[in-house]
Amino acid sequence: MKLRIAILVAALPLLGLFGDPKGLTVFIVGLVLINMLLASGLNLLYGFGGLIPFTFAGISGTSAFICCNLVLHAGWSFWIALPVGCVAASILGLALSFPAIRLRGFYFALSGLVIQSALTIAFIYFPSLTNGDTGITSIPRPTLAGQPIVSPWLEILIATATVLTVTGISALMRSPIGSMLIAIRDDEDLSRALGINVTAVRSLAFLIASLIAGLGGGVYAHYVGFVSPRTFDVLISLNLWLMVAVGGRGTLVGPLLGALILTPLPFIFQQYTWIKDVIYGGAIVVVIMFLPAGLFGLLQRRAS
Amino acid sequence: MTSPSPLFQTSGLSKRFGGLQALASVDALQYPGELLGLIGPNGSGKSTFVNVVSGTLPGDEGKVWLEGRQISGLPQHLVTRAGVARTFQAVKVFRELSVLDNVLAGLLGHRARPHEANERARSAMDRVGLTVAPDTAAGRLSLFDQRRLEFAMRLVAKPTLLMLDEPVGGLNPEEIRSMIALISSLREHCGILIIEHTMKVITSLADRVMVLVNGRKLIDDAPGVVLRDRAVIETYLGA
Repeated sequence: MKLRIAILVAALPLLGLFGDPKGLTVFIVGLVLINMLLASGLNLLYGFGGLIPFTFAGISGTSAFICCNLVLHAGWSFWIALPVGCVAASILGLALSFPAIRLRGFYFALSGLVIQSALTIAFIYFPSLTNGDTGITSIPRPTLAGQPIVSPWLEILIATATVLTVTGISALMRSPIGSMLIAIRDDEDLSRALGINVTAVRSLAFLIASLIAGLGGGVYAHYVGFVSPRTFDVLISLNLWLMVAVGGRGTLVGPLLGALILTPLPFIFQQYTWIKDVIYGGAIVVVIMFLPAGLFGLLQRRAS
Repeated sequence: MTSPSPLFQTSGLSKRFGGLQALASVDALQYPGELLGLIGPNGSGKSTFVNVVSGTLPGDEGKVWLEGRQISGLPQHLVTRAGVARTFQAVKVFRELSVLDNVLAGLLGHRARPHEANERARSAMDRVGLTVAPDTAAGRLSLFDQRRLEFAMRLVAKPTLLMLDEPVGGLNPEEIRSMIALISSLREHCGILIIEHTMKVITSLADRVMVLVNGRKLIDDAPGVVLRDRAVIETYLGA
C-alpha cells in the first residue's frame, strides 16, 4: 500500500518531461529523481536506523569519481564502471562505519561530520582522481549500443532505478532485518538484551545505504556531466538529510516527497540566492519545531 | 541426595570500575528448578552481576556456565541466544510498537520460523496473563502490563535462565501479589534469578538466597537461614 504511494510519488517528476525536451525543466526532473534515490538511501540509516550519516555525500562522491575516471581514462563502459563504483562505495561505507558504529546519537553525527570533512579534503588533495578543485568536466552520458541515451529516456531510466531502489528498501524493511533495524533505533540496549546482533544489523544497513549512495553518485556524474570535490561536500549530506526530515523520516514516501519539494527550490529562486538560504533555514526550524514526523507524517495523521 | 548438574554457575566472577571493585570473585550456583534470590544493599553489585552474566558488560575475570556450556566472553547477543534472558531495573519496552510486535521482537535474534512466530507470541502473552489488544501501543500500557510484556518478550524465545532485575519495582501491593504468582508459575519453564529489595518477594519465592555486600558474596543459603544470619542482619537488614 505505502509502496504503491511511493512508486506514484517517484513517478511524479516524469510529468515534467512533457515540456520542452531540451529545457531546464527536464534537467530538474533528472536531479529530483537522483535526489529521491539518494535521500531514500540516507533514510535507511537516518529514518529507519536512527543515525545521521554526514558521510553520505563523501561515499557517494567516491563512487562518482571512480565511475567517471574509469569511463574517461580507462575507456570502460558506464554500465561496468557504475557497479564498480557502487561496490567501492559500499566497501568504503562499511569500513567507515566500524569506528563510528559504537557511538550513539549526537556523537555518531559528530564523527560523521569529521569523516566527511576528511573525505572532502582527500578529494581535493588527490587531483589525479578528481582533478582537484577544478573538478572533472565533459563526463559523457551513458550510452546504449554506442549511442548516448538522450532525454527523456535517460530520465525514465533514472526513474526506473529510483523505483527499483525504493521497492528494494520496502522489501528489506518488511524482512526481519528491517524489524531489527527499527528495534535498534528505538532502544539499542533492549535490542541487545533480546539477542539482536546490533553491530551486524547496523553494518548491513551501512553496506546497503552506501551502495545506494554509490549508485546515486555514479548516475549524478554522468547525468550532470560535471563533478568536483564540492559536489560531494558536507552541505550535500545536509541537503539530503533535510529532504528526509522535511518529507518524513522513517517512511518510504517521505524522502521522495522531500526531494520533490526541495530540489527545484534553488532553480526557482536562482536570481535570489539569499531567499533560498532563508527558505532552507526556515525549513529546518519548522521541521524541528512543528513537524518532527515530516510532511508525510502530517498527511498520515490527517488521514487517520 | 545426588547433586544434579547445575543449571547455571559462575566462578571467580570479577568486575572493576576504576577504583571500585563492583564484583569480587563471586561464585554462584543454581540447580534446575531452583529460584535464586539475589539481595544486598544499594551498590553491592547485584545489577553488575546480572550485567556481566548477560554480557551487557564484559567481565574482568571469572567464568560463567549455562548447563555446562561456557558462556563468559561471548557478546551479549550470543549469550542471549545461548539461553540467558534478562530484564532491566527500569521498565524497557518498545513504546511506539504494538504489544504483539514487542513480543515478536523477542524472537528477532533467535531465528524462529516465521509461521510459528505469531503463535508463539500469543502463547507467551497468554502465559503472562496479558489480555490487552495485541495492537495496543506498548507505551500506553500500565506499568504492571509493561512488566508482564517484558516477561513475554523473553519467554517467547524459551530461555534457560531468566534474570529479573527488581521485577516489582513501582507496583502496588495487589500487583506485587499477582507478580509473585506469575513468577512462581514460570518456574516450570526456566530457571529464575531475581534481584529484589522487597523481602516479601524473596521470602515467598526464593529457594536459595545469595547476599552480595561490596561485590563479595556474604552468604548463600535457604531464605530462612539467610534472613536470620547475624552478618546479614547487621550489614543489610540492620536498623
